[in-house]
This record gives sequence, C-alpha cells and structure tokens, in this order.
Amino acid sequence: MIPEAPNAPAPAALRPWRLLSHPQDWHCILFHVICLAAYACAFWLYLHPKVAGITGPWSRIAFVLASALVLGWISGIDVGVNFHNHSHRPIFTSQFLNRWFGRMWTFSGGWPSFFWEYCHVTIHHANLLTPEDWTLPKHTPDGKFENFQRYLFAHWPWRLATHLWKDLTARQTLRRRSLRELAIFFALWSIPFWINPVMAIWLWVLPHWIANAFVMNSGMYVQHAGCVPKTPAKPVSHSTVFVSNLFNLTMFNIGFHSEHHDHPRVHWSELPELHQRLKQDLIDGKAHVVPFGNYHAAFLLAGDDARQKGFAEQDSRYKSTQ
Amino acid sequence: MQYRTRDFVSRTGLVFGRSFFPLFAIAIIVGATLWGPWVSLGVTVIAIASALRSL
Repeated sequence: MIPEAPNAPAPAALRPWRLLSHPQDWHCILFHVICLAAYACAFWLYLHPKVAGITGPWSRIAFVLASALVLGWISGIDVGVNFHNHSHRPIFTSQFLNRWFGRMWTFSGGWPSFFWEYCHVTIHHANLLTPEDWTLPKHTPDGKFENFQRYLFAHWPWRLATHLWKDLTARQTLRRRSLRELAIFFALWSIPFWINPVMAIWLWVLPHWIANAFVMNSGMYVQHAGCVPKTPAKPVSHSTVFVSNLFNLTMFNIGFHSEHHDHPRVHWSELPELHQRLKQDLIDGKAHVVPFGNYHAAFLLAGDDARQKGFAEQDSRYKSTQ
Repeated sequence: MQYRTRDFVSRTGLVFGRSFFPLFAIAIIVGATLWGPWVSLGVTVIAIASALRSL
C-alpha cells in the first residue's frame, strides 16, 4: 500500500474563496504567461527588425532560428509538462477557469487542450505500453521501440491526426465536443496569421513543430523506451525515472515518471517526496533509474548502439543487491 | 530571522528555477536588441548542445 500525498488540497466546495487548487499552481500560470510574453516579444521584434539588429535576410534568418528554437523548446515544456500537470489535476477550483485556461494554454503549443488531454489521459495513461497506447512509438517484431528519429518525424501531427480522427469521430458526443474544441483552437491559433502570415509560419508554426517533434515526442520516447507493461512481477518497469535535480527543478518534477504513472493524482510538487518514500520499492523492483534528464536521454537514444548503452546503465544509487 | 531569509531565498529560487527556460527564451529573443541576432543564435545553439550533453 502506497500512501498518497499527505497535504492534498481540500475539495473546492470546502474553500470556495480560493482560486487555485494547490498553492504552488501559480508557478504553472507564471510559466505559461512568460511563454506567451516570449512569443509576443518575438513577433514584435520580427515586425520591427531594426530594433533587433536585423539588417538583411541573413540576420533575419539568424533571429528567426534563434527565436524558433527557444520558443519551440519552451512550448514543448509548457504543453508536454506544464499543461500535462493540469490535465491530471486541474489547477483552478473553478471548472470554467480550468476549461478556458486550458484552451489558452495549449494553443501556443499547436494543440486543442481537449485533444491533448484525450491522448494523454484516456489513451496513454489508461493503456500504458499496450497495443492500444498509440501515443507511444510502435514496437518492432523483437518488442523494442521503433527507431527514435522515425517516431519523432512521423508521430506529430501525422499519426496523431489519423488516430484522433478515428477515435473522436466514432461517437456522436465526442464528435460534437471535438468539433467545438477544434473551432475554438483554430480561432486562437490563427491570430498570428492575421497579424503577418510569413511571421506566423516562422515564429508560430515552426516553433510548434519543434515543440512537438523534438521536445514532446522525444520525451515520450525516452520515458518508456526499454520498458514493459506493468505486471505483478514487474510493477515498476513501465517507466524510466530521471533523478537529475536540475532537470526536475526546471521541468516540474516530470523526471519522477514511474511515480507519476502509478499515482497520477499526486501533485507535481509532491513527487520528490513521494519518490523518497518509494525509493526502496523502486530499487527492489529494479526500476530503471538514470542520473540525468530527458534531454541527455534523447541524445543517447538518438545515437548508435554504443551511445544507447549509456541510457541502459542504472544510476549507481539505485542498484539492487538482490 | 535566519530561517525567514533562508525560506525566502528557497522560495525565490524555486520560482526562478521553474521559470528558467521561458525566462531564458525571453533573454535570447529580447537580448537580440542588445547584442544582435547572431549572438542570440550562437547562445541558443550552445544551450541546446549543453542540455543534450548534461540535462
């Protein structure tokens, strides 16, 4: 029996004067607001090139590349980690705010919030590593994940669109809601195109592709590469645990991934404490624990066999003696 | 007093730590007005390479 978080917030009905479900959830809002501000700064400077030192086509390319890379990076975290937490534990006590802030949250990562939530909660968490979990890489005949680069380039938006179309058009209630959410998404997502279509391609669509292909897809790959579905014999081998302090500080503790899958309702800020409580279970269960974060894991798994062996190595503090 | 100072520093560190990447992005984008787009691109490439190597 694994204890749940001791300081889980009281139900909203008991404290209607509070806006946030958890005191630390304002960090999530701050993160998203800074992301939107970063986009606004990039757009403004693109439209006022002299201020940004853009003097010709090459310096414009340099500005666009630098901006698109960092915007893609933060958008990938903003949706794949930050909104992800909201999809498990809504950050507001008001349903209305949760719904609308969610919509405002994911459009800057190229997603309608309902679609992302459906993929992550209904498909990924409910069917982890089974054939029904189409959010993860496909398996090769020998049971391993498909090639890292193939998954990165094929998954978003191509495979996702096909699966979402099949799933969300199957039932009338889902179809209606999906259409409504898609319409709201396109209304928000099209805003940069109304300002300047060329700017929108380079500083909106390109960062969203970077966010999804390189940040979110690589995250999904490394979190479950080499893992097996949960069974009584292997209860903690379904996810890799990333224990880098700096990674977890800057990524809302997403590194504690095994703990998160087993206890998705535990607040993200309480995962380090939960990890400490479960540490011995992870060691005894031979969970795969690595001392770095997702980014270095992606670097290792994108390489040849020799580099991939680096990912398989266990953190020395988590080696089982049994 | 010492406890309060430590608590304040710890909380502030958490806020900045968790918002590190978007703050870094703003520094890169807005920083182009100070040092030009080429330096921003160079710093971005170095940051990505460092993250892939160590984070």
